[in-house]
Amino acid sequence: MSPDRDLHLDEDKLLWAVVDETELPLTLQEHLSTCPQCRAAKERLEQSLVRLGQVAERFAPLPRKRVSLPVEKPSSSIWWSWSRRSYIGAAVTVTLMIVIVWWSALFRTTPEDSEDMLAREMWEADRVMTEASMLVENALPPVYLDICGKSDPDYDEEFMQFLIPPIENEQLSYDAWRGGVELC
Amino acid sequence: MPQTAQKQHYARAPGTGSQVTSLVKEAKAGSRTAFEQLVDLFQEDIFRMVFYRTRSTMDAEDLAQDIFMQAFKNLSGLKAVDRFRSWLYSIALNRVRDFNRKKRFRSLFYSFNDSHEVAQSYAKTNDHHEALDNLMIQDFWKQIGLLLDKLSRMEREVFLLRFMDHLSIKEISRVLGKSESTVKTHLYRALQKFKREYSILQLLQEGTP
Repeated sequence: MSPDRDLHLDEDKLLWAVVDETELPLTLQEHLSTCPQCRAAKERLEQSLVRLGQVAERFAPLPRKRVSLPVEKPSSSIWWSWSRRSYIGAAVTVTLMIVIVWWSALFRTTPEDSEDMLAREMWEADRVMTEASMLVENALPPVYLDICGKSDPDYDEEFMQFLIPPIENEQLSYDAWRGGVELC
Repeated sequence: MPQTAQKQHYARAPGTGSQVTSLVKEAKAGSRTAFEQLVDLFQEDIFRMVFYRTRSTMDAEDLAQDIFMQAFKNLSGLKAVDRFRSWLYSIALNRVRDFNRKKRFRSLFYSFNDSHEVAQSYAKTNDHHEALDNLMIQDFWKQIGLLLDKLSRMEREVFLLRFMDHLSIKEISRVLGKSESTVKTHLYRALQKFKREYSILQLLQEGTP
């Protein structure tokens, strides 16, 4: 097939051919494959672009140092992670044991301790019983005792006899009223 | 140049595809050695990729270090092991974007001189070069800078990925997250502008060693 001179690729088509030849219509693709003139024009542009890449690569400096990756941590290994877990577990166990031992020592009671405790409880019980007996004898608080004069025990007895005479006196006065006094 | 050879050059990849894939599989399984081999295969390419966009050796080294660290940490998240290269370039591209964004922010407070930075950077790394060569190199990067300034952000990225980083259209579409037809359209527009840059075309055809 001879190339058709009228079908020569214009500049836009030439650029599309450089971008991607398959983007051109089939007729132009066929023309490009057979027309030496269009082929040469396309290759000239492509060569310029290839040369651009080559020169840029050549004129660019080289890296002076190698990229360094982060330092490998031993903790990432399975062995280390397991051994670390066992260390933590052992530490927790020991701590718990210490706490338990200390706690039990704090509340542990010896025979001597129990005797002291018993004596203290008995003394406390005595004190409570004494207080209860005092309350049975006189339940009034000291303030009211002062008011009614009960705080003085001597005066209290006479006062009470004055206020409430004994029963014998009452019987005597009753008999006297009925017919004279009859002394036994 | 024959078409097949041309395509191979555009889509050049370090190492063979199967070699990279098996290394990625090993690295994903936890092999540090395999990842170190991947670093050996891709470090220069990633360093250059960053240098083309920052034009600073020091920044390119630091960013390359960050990019590989990020890749190392996130490798387990890579689903398709055969797409390692485009995945790595997408990390690199995001990192460079972040860097440029921060640089723009910093430039609000004090001014940068890119061309001076390039010259200084190159002089530091290539003291053995002749003064004439250095001048030519600086002129080349200046011309590239002028060309890239005329391209839109997308056109510039597609152009750089295709003709300077040697990625295929498919890889570029993965890196940028765009359809292949979008990538081709941006590439076409970038080529239109490139073709109008006679000075750089002349430099490529005549002057460069």
